[in-house]
Amino acid sequence: MSAAQFSGPLEAGQFPEKLTARVVTPGSEPRVHGYDVETDLAHHYTATDLVLLSLTGELATDRVRAAFEVAWLFLAPISVAHAGPHASVLARLCGATVSSTVAVAAIGLAEQARTLVAEHSELLRSLRSSTAKLPERYQSTVAEEREAVERLRRALDRTGLDVPALQQSPTRDAALLSVLFACGLRRPEQLQAVIVLARMPCAVAEGFAERATNFGNYPINLPHFVYEESR
Amino acid sequence: MKDLSLSTASAHWGWEEHSYFGQRVFEELAGHESFTSLTALSLLGRRLSADQCAVLDDAAACLTLADPRVWPLKLTRVIAAHGGMSAGAAAGLLIQDGARIGPSTVARAAELLVQLHLELVGTGFEPEAVDAVVRGYLDKHHFVWGFGTPFRKRDERLVAFCACLERRGRRRLPFMRTLDAIAAVVTRARQTEPNMGMATAAAFLDLGVNVHEAGPLATALMQHMFFAHAVEGAQQAPEILRRLPDCCIDYTGREARESPRALSASAAKTNPQAAE
Repeated sequence: MSAAQFSGPLEAGQFPEKLTARVVTPGSEPRVHGYDVETDLAHHYTATDLVLLSLTGELATDRVRAAFEVAWLFLAPISVAHAGPHASVLARLCGATVSSTVAVAAIGLAEQARTLVAEHSELLRSLRSSTAKLPERYQSTVAEEREAVERLRRALDRTGLDVPALQQSPTRDAALLSVLFACGLRRPEQLQAVIVLARMPCAVAEGFAERATNFGNYPINLPHFVYEESR
Repeated sequence: MKDLSLSTASAHWGWEEHSYFGQRVFEELAGHESFTSLTALSLLGRRLSADQCAVLDDAAACLTLADPRVWPLKLTRVIAAHGGMSAGAAAGLLIQDGARIGPSTVARAAELLVQLHLELVGTGFEPEAVDAVVRGYLDKHHFVWGFGTPFRKRDERLVAFCACLERRGRRRLPFMRTLDAIAAVVTRARQTEPNMGMATAAAFLDLGVNVHEAGPLATALMQHMFFAHAVEGAQQAPEILRRLPDCCIDYTGREARESPRALSASAAKTNPQAAE
C-alpha cells in the first residue's frame, strides 16, 4: 500500500498543529516566564534565581533566595552510599558514555526524591495547615541529626526567613523540606525537581571520578547476594 | 552492624554452569526455552507451559499498536533523535510505571477484575447481582481502569485478542467471563467499551498470573514497540525531532516583562539622583 492508502484514527482526529510552550519562549532571544534571559536575568540575577523562577513562575525575594541557597547546599552532598551516585559509579565502571552516566544518576536521584517526598506527604499537609504542628514521626530523636538541624538553623539565621517547623526538632529531611516549602516550593513536583537538581553535581562527579573497567576495585559483594534456589 | 546481605531467587554465576530461577542455564534452558518462556520465567520466577506462552505471544502480537505518533513511542523517538538507541528505549520504558496509558493500565485493570471477581463469585454471576456490584463500584469511581477506547468505538486489539483466545479454547475461562459480565454493565452505564488492557489483564489472571505480576509482564510484552522506535529513531537521528522549528511552537506563557532589578537599573540611569 502507498502512504496515501493508510488511514486510521489519528488521520481522522483533529489535533493542534503546534507544540505549546509555557515557560521558555522559542527563538534566539529566550525569555523565562516573561523575563529576557540574555539582557535582563544574566545582568541582574544568579543561577539560583533562575531555578526558583523556572519552578515557581516568579522571581524570589532576597530573603527567599538566600534561604533556598542554604537548603540547596545542605541537600547537595550525597555520598556514593546512596543509590544515585552508586549507580553513576557502576555506569562509569561499565564504560558507559558520559550521557548515560549522567542519565543514570538522574534516574537514581529522581527515584530517591520521589520516595523522600512521598514519605513526607503528612509533613507537607501539616505545613499547609494553619496549625503547622510537626507530626511526631518527623521529629528527630537522634542527637547527630538534631545537631545538623541546628547547623541549618544557624545558616538560615542571616537570611531572616521564618521557618516555624525548625523550632519543633524536625529530622534533617523534614527540616530541609520545610525550608523549601517556606521558599514557595510546595508541590511534590517542585520539591522533587529541586532535590534532584541540587544533588546532581555530586552524584555525577562521583561517577566521573571512577575509571572505566576498574572492576577489581569495586566491592562486588557489597551487599552479598545469597542465591536461594526454589524449583 | 546491619546485615549486609540480600537474598535473590534470580541468578548465580557458577564455574561451568549458571543458575537462573532454579534452572541450569545450559542444561535446562538453552535449547529448550523460547524467548517468551524465558521472559515469563524472568518476570514470574516460574516456567510457563508452551500453551501458556502461546497466550503471551498472542497478547504481545495483539498489543502491537506501534504508530510513532502514540505518545510513549513518540517520546522514545524524541529521545532517540540524538542517535542513542538505549537512551530512547530506556526513556520510553521509564515512563511506564504508574502512567495512565500503556502497560501499567493492565496492572490496574487486573486489580479491578480481581476485586469485582471476588465480589461476584458468591453471587453466581446472576445479572441482577452483577448489575448491583458493578454499579456500586461505578458510584464510587469516576474513572474505570481497563475501559475507554480513544478515537474509536471499540478496541480492535481486544477483538483480535479475544479471537485468539477463542481459538485456543480460553475465551470462557473465569476472568474472561468476569470481564464480559462487568463490561456489559459498564458499557451500558458509561457508554465506554473495555480495552486491550482489560482483556490482557483477564487473560493473565486466567493464566495464574497475579495482580502484582501483571504490570511487569505487560511491560515486557510491549517492549518490542519501544525497541522498534528506539532503533529506527536512533538510525534516523532526525534534525526535526532534535529541535522543532520555532514556527511549530506556540508560546502561551507569561507576557514579556522587565525584572525589578532591571527596572531599578533603568531608573538609576535616567535619574541618578532619585536612585541614590
